Formats: sequence, C-alpha cells, structure tokens
Amino acid sequence: MLAATGLRSHIWNNNLKSILLLAGFPVLIVGLVYGLTVLFLAWTEDERADLGRAAGEAAYAMPMVTPWVLLGVAIWFGIAWLSHQAIIDASTGAKKVSRNDEPELYNLLENLCISRGITMPALRIIETPALNAYASGLTDKQAAVTVTRGLTQTLNREELEAVLAHELTHILNRDVRLLVISIIFVGIISFTVEIMVRGMLYGSLGRAGGSRRGSGGNSGVFILVAMAMAALAWVLAIAIRFTLSRKREYMADAGAVELTKNPDAMITALMKVSGNPDIEGAPAEVRQMFLHDRSSGFAGMFATHPPMDKRIAALERYAGGNRPPPRAGAVPAV
Amino acid sequence: MEFVVILVILAVIGLAIILIYNRLVALRQTTNQAWGDIDVQMKQRYDLVPNLVETVKGYASHERETLENVIKARQQAIDATGMKDLAAAENMLTGALRQLFALSEAYPDLKANQNFLALQRELADLENKIAAARRFFNNAVSEYNTATEQFPAVLLAGPFGFKPREFFEIAASERAAPSVSF
Repeated sequence: MLAATGLRSHIWNNNLKSILLLAGFPVLIVGLVYGLTVLFLAWTEDERADLGRAAGEAAYAMPMVTPWVLLGVAIWFGIAWLSHQAIIDASTGAKKVSRNDEPELYNLLENLCISRGITMPALRIIETPALNAYASGLTDKQAAVTVTRGLTQTLNREELEAVLAHELTHILNRDVRLLVISIIFVGIISFTVEIMVRGMLYGSLGRAGGSRRGSGGNSGVFILVAMAMAALAWVLAIAIRFTLSRKREYMADAGAVELTKNPDAMITALMKVSGNPDIEGAPAEVRQMFLHDRSSGFAGMFATHPPMDKRIAALERYAGGNRPPPRAGAVPAV
Repeated sequence: MEFVVILVILAVIGLAIILIYNRLVALRQTTNQAWGDIDVQMKQRYDLVPNLVETVKGYASHERETLENVIKARQQAIDATGMKDLAAAENMLTGALRQLFALSEAYPDLKANQNFLALQRELADLENKIAAARRFFNNAVSEYNTATEQFPAVLLAGPFGFKPREFFEIAASERAAPSVSF
C-alpha cells in the first residue's frame, strides 16, 4: 500500500514546512519591503535618481520600518487565523449542517472519525450541483470538511465515504494547515507588492506633472526594475504555493482507501467528480484546497492537482482498485 | 572525571527509561479510551434491545423463538467476561437482531410502525459505530502491543506491568450476509 510508505515522513515534512514558512516569512517580507523601499526612494527622489544612495537611505530607514511591517504581518495573520474559515465559506457559499439536517452524511463522517479516534470536524455543504469537496481549518478545533450538494446527490454511500475519508486524511496529514498558512502569506506578499508598485506609479505621475527633472532618462529602467520586483514577488508566491507538493493528493487518496478499505469506491468517486468539479465563484486560492481542480496553467506546470488519470492509475497500482467496466453513458469519460 | 562520566551515563539511561515509560503509558491510555468508546456504544445497543423486542411483540408475538434468541444474546453479552466471550456474544446478538429484522419483512404493519423504524435506524447506526470504534481499538492495541515487545522497551514492560492486550475480534461470519431460515 502506498499509505504505508512515506506517510510519516510526509506529515513530518508538512510540519517542517509549516514551521519554516512561519519562521522564514518575516525575513522574506522585510527583505521585500527593503527592496521596494529602495526603488520607491530612488523613484521619488527629486534630484537625479541614484540607486546606491537610495539603498543607503532605505537601510537607514529599515530599523524604524521593520517593527511596523512585522506588526502589520502579525495582525494580518491573526485576523486570518480567526476568520479564514468564514472567508472561505463566504467565497464558496458553504453552510454548516448538523446531525439532524444530514443524518446520513454526518454519520459517515462521524464513523470515520471514530475509527481514527479523532474529534469530528465541522461538516458544511455548498448548495451547487457541481461535484467537489475540501477540508479547511488551521487547528483541529477549526477543522471542517465541506462537500457540495451535487456530491451528496450523485455519489453513492461508499463513494461519499471515500471522499470524506480523503478530506479527513488531508486534515490528519496536516496538508490543510500548510495550505492555509501558505495562502495567507501569498496574500500578504501580493498585497505588499501592489501597494508599493501603486505608490511608485503615483509618485511618478506626480513628478511627471511637476517636470522638475530634466533628463528623465532613468524612468524606463525603473519601470523595468519595478516590473522585475513584481515578477519576483509573483514567483515567490508561486514557489510558496508549490512547497505544497501535488503528492498530497495521492497521499490523501491512499489514506482514504486505508480508512474505508474500498479502493473501487474512491476510483468511481474520482471519475464522477472529474466530470463536473467547477464551483462558480471560487477563487484560485480556495480551488487549491478542492478534491479536484482542472485549472493547470502552462501545460500542467502550475496545476495544483495531479491529473485524474494518474490518480486513478495510482489507486489501481498500489491500492488494488479496479475501474468499473465501461457502461454506455453511465460514467463520464476521464 | 570518571565520576562525571558515570553520572552522565546514568542520567542518559534514566532519561531513556522515563521516555519509554511515558510512551507506554500514553499508548496504554489510548487503548483504554478506545475501549471506553466501544463500551459506550455497546451499552446503548443493550438499552435499545428491550424496546425493540416489546415493539415487535405487539405485531408478531408468535415469533417467540427469534425474540427469545435476541433477549438471550443480549443477556449473554452483558454477562460476558473476557474479550473472547464478549466478542462471541456480540456476534450472536448481531446475528439475532438481523434475523429479527429479516423476519419483520413478513409483517407490513410492523414495518410501517414509526417506533420500529426509528429503532431499526438507530441500531444500524450503532452497529456501524461499534465497527468503527473496534477498528480504532484494534489499531491502538496493535500499536501498544508492538511497543511493549520492542527492545529496549520490552525490558521495562514486564517489571512495570505493561501486559499485552487482547484484540476485540469479530468472526468472519459477521461480515457475510446472515443465513435466515424460517
């Protein structure tokens, strides 16, 4: 079984990455702010712009600026910690359900939790015919599993159990925590870059109006540098996003089979989901958390999920699952 | 100098003993908790059985044998001592209940009874929960037993009284569909 090999090291890796992200991010953001400040100063300088002098001035200003930057990051992170669940729910339209609302679904999840001896996460439903699911929450207390209404209506009991087990495994493997932390950080980086780049643009507009500068020869260079900074931040954001390996989905599939002992149900569930996974209005950050997401960027390089075919092939190879025999029009082709 | 070396060695050994001991205690505690989970669910099931028997009696009083089997199996499960007895008695109770529900197919009035339907649902749910809890218990026991048998923990397990625990097994027959003969 795939689950037996490397699961512990996967969890260990996830925990280590979470800690590294948390520890490294303040350094990263201060560095970014410094770089942007240098540019900003050089850009808005009245006299002939000079990168070297701007760098010196920025370094002089940093001890004063750094605490505020870190405070801002801490406040942002604190707010995100408390309210990310509400934000995610708002973006997907998920509503919490109780045992009385959805007894069958609730019992499925509860029994899975009993068999692993863990506290049960909250259960949420999105009222949409699309087929998808995700797990969220930074701590075990905040943990939640969300499924779409279409999923509960289209999948049979075994398949539903397989999907719930998949999401539960994401929580157990600490994938969810790492993902949410990275999403928060990516948000902070893009916010910072946007503010600084806008500041520079306005600065440049103001100066162009005053036209105090004779030569103006450097502005092209600065635009290039600013664009390079923005690109760098974008690459950083992507890099953080991909500290989350796509392996996590294979791991969660394997973990689900370990819980339910039913690889065939996992396979048919994935086949059904792959036909109609798109939830309207869900932002890219949230789509990373989904059971399946089709967006893949340049030739799969920026895909957050492995292709469905590979996931099913892995289940067949390592978990002893079988695809159902093809029936005309019964299951959408993968 | 030698004194310091001996002291350091003793400290390391002492620390290792503390760590191993604490790990064993934690694992044993998990098995106890897991057992508690099973126990709660089983007791709930025992509490529901008399209600069910009374309800069925009202519609199918001449199915004495089946009803008595259920009552007997329940009593045996409550009285059981030791893991093997309990597992056997639980299997019997499950089988007897299945027979009772299979029998209810022949009584449309009974099948329409709301109370009966609610009891049936609740018992089915409890059975699933017991199965889930048993899986967790057996995993916990397996982890605990392995830990007590590993070196060097095995040196401590005996003197400190960490005895291996029995699994809560189910017969293969419970997995298969029951054969119902009228």
